[in-house]
Amino acid sequence: MSDVLTRAVHQVRSVSLGPATAWRDGELVVSADEARALLSSPCLAEVKITWASPGDAVRIVKILDVVEPRTKGPGGAGIFPGWTVPAPSSPAEAHGQGAVHVLRGAAVMVAGYLPRAQEAVVDMTGPAAALSPFGSTHNLVVEFTPTPDADWAEVDDALRRGSLVLAAHLAEAALDAPPDEVEELPGPGPVDGLPRVATITNLQTQGAFKDVFVHGRSFNGQPPTLVDPGELDAGAVISGQFGHPSLRNPTWAHQNHPVVNALRARHGRDVSFAGVVLCPEPVNAADKQAVSLAAARVCAEAGFDAVLITKEGGGNADADMALKMDALEELGIAAVGLFAEMAGPDGSGPPIVVAPEKATAMISTGNYDTRLDLPEMERALGGAEVALLNVPATAAMELPTAVILAALSPLGWGHLTCSPVPA
Amino acid sequence: MARIVHYLTQFFTGVGGEDAASSAPASQPGAVGPGRRLAQLLGPEHEIVATVSCGDDDAASRPEAVAEIVALLRAAEPDLVVAGPAFTSGRYGLACARVAAAATEAGLHAIAAMHPDNPGLDEAGTAPVIASGEAARLMGPALDALAAAAAKVLAGDLLGEADGLIGLIPRRPRMADRNAATRAVDLVLARLGGDRDATEVPLPRFDKVTPAAPVEDLTTSTLAILTEGALVPDDNPGALESARATKWLRYSLAGLDELEPGQWRSVHGGFSTVWANADPHRILPLDAARQLEREGAIGHLHQEYLVTAGNGTSVANARRFGIEWAADLRRSGARSAILTAT
Repeated sequence: MSDVLTRAVHQVRSVSLGPATAWRDGELVVSADEARALLSSPCLAEVKITWASPGDAVRIVKILDVVEPRTKGPGGAGIFPGWTVPAPSSPAEAHGQGAVHVLRGAAVMVAGYLPRAQEAVVDMTGPAAALSPFGSTHNLVVEFTPTPDADWAEVDDALRRGSLVLAAHLAEAALDAPPDEVEELPGPGPVDGLPRVATITNLQTQGAFKDVFVHGRSFNGQPPTLVDPGELDAGAVISGQFGHPSLRNPTWAHQNHPVVNALRARHGRDVSFAGVVLCPEPVNAADKQAVSLAAARVCAEAGFDAVLITKEGGGNADADMALKMDALEELGIAAVGLFAEMAGPDGSGPPIVVAPEKATAMISTGNYDTRLDLPEMERALGGAEVALLNVPATAAMELPTAVILAALSPLGWGHLTCSPVPA
Repeated sequence: MARIVHYLTQFFTGVGGEDAASSAPASQPGAVGPGRRLAQLLGPEHEIVATVSCGDDDAASRPEAVAEIVALLRAAEPDLVVAGPAFTSGRYGLACARVAAAATEAGLHAIAAMHPDNPGLDEAGTAPVIASGEAARLMGPALDALAAAAAKVLAGDLLGEADGLIGLIPRRPRMADRNAATRAVDLVLARLGGDRDATEVPLPRFDKVTPAAPVEDLTTSTLAILTEGALVPDDNPGALESARATKWLRYSLAGLDELEPGQWRSVHGGFSTVWANADPHRILPLDAARQLEREGAIGHLHQEYLVTAGNGTSVANARRFGIEWAADLRRSGARSAILTAT
């Protein structure tokens, strides 16, 4: 009963701008006029559309969200529920079937100033390119100028809505073309003799510009919710979370949830993929405790043997991890947490902020504080300066890994880790 | 031929004992004292080209001493700086650790040796530290281990536990073969298989402090006020450090009802002290404490306050301060305390 049964993958090999949006055997042509029209809003005075491709000497700064172009049919057919179409009104609708068409290797990337957003950077070449998922995607960068006196929350909403509509529109160009690959997505379900392994995905829901949406609504204050993993492929989880750049999960990461993909790949072989629980990450400690206990009980009631837990955000989000890991272990459910380390530039500080007391198994997705020497670039998109250092965005600069978008991917995309290396 | 410069306490260079503990940094050519045996162990491919020494008091407590020592080391153009062994000697251990850390920060290769319980161990930064025994009677095996480790570092090899490496081993970034999500599935299978030790992140060793029982009757208790906010008399007579404090101080509150602005100053380096200096009670609430004393809510206010700077303070030093404060307060009769933190 998975929402999406197959992924029809269209591999994007080259990109360009042209008079009309079209898909030609691996080349994605985008009409900037069409894109601007889809993004038009009373609160946006100007929208600029530019491609940035792997290997280009381009630095993109002030990145907000990134979306993979996907559709389920003409007009979206239910992709991005709650945004391009109304939120599902019945369980059957939420669990509809079908294929999702994916333009793999392309991304719609919104970049520019919003209040409370922490500056996120992606380099298309140099040492930082390999650290972000978006150093190897063709990025359609959407830059914007708000109208005078526009309300920032409305600007944020218009950009999110517009970029999702644009992402669906781009994928529609490939709808009738033969896919490069069709991926069968096993739904969760018991397999005799194999441990039932699920994932808890924490969504950092901490107010405007630091929020995550499920079916078009803020997930702030919602209870831990067991969802069909196919819903992630259909774009049920949309990011409006612009905190810690390396530790945030852009929409692209939910669409391509690496832990879900890893569990699907092992389903029937050495694990039985058992499900996805979405959890809010509240601000205060009592709420973190309550949500964590509730999440552990959902996992126990669902009969999970083990759970992989992911976070979003900085140090306070370690508490959401530690509390859940301990609660699960107390209920006899094996818990593994994916953490990023905040161990100082030389890696000598305590690696995590809040540690579990009963659980012990942790994955490291790298060190937030590791310094990177980034080369000079020819062009910059998203802004003229890196505000953090007050330097031109094209300049050579030293930045902490913390600033590179999704470089410590809490959902487990990256290969970065840390180990004790004697001097 | 690799050039080695050896750092030793003044005692081992024949300058004198405790009476010479304040002697200033000095450099002399060649190997001296235990350095001669170290040179023999290192063999003909290595040469101890100079020995730098300093009195332990001077090295451990005068802020400029370490930089002066590093300048002397650097002048001898070393391929490697070797400090110690310091055994369990606290000041000597601190000196060796800080010299090794500062030399490393200055771009030199450095290694130190001391006992694992030496309080200096936490201050060696990213410089490797090799274990030694407790006292100089174990100089022989200490030098064997130090020489072997030094040769390995010079050869570009990594040190590990088998080499006697102790203390903090920095965690360094690297690219794993498989992504984090895939490794997480492997880890959970190991965990389900009963392996409770498998992890990529060691648990940080945070101390668990059990809170003391509530004070039974505050109206008869002597209350002390304490702070890590580095509030000291304006001229900082005890030279409290603004960061990475190595000491704490005490100042009298006898006869004082208030802390007058301008006569007190926070030397804390971790926050803007403008507002603390405008009203020192923001750090040390003497005004409120005196009022509680007048109202009879507390028995007496302890007649002095204890102070340090809590800013990048090593855990080892913070633990020592805590033990010393508790002992001091018990001796003085204080049975309750309020510690303000910034």
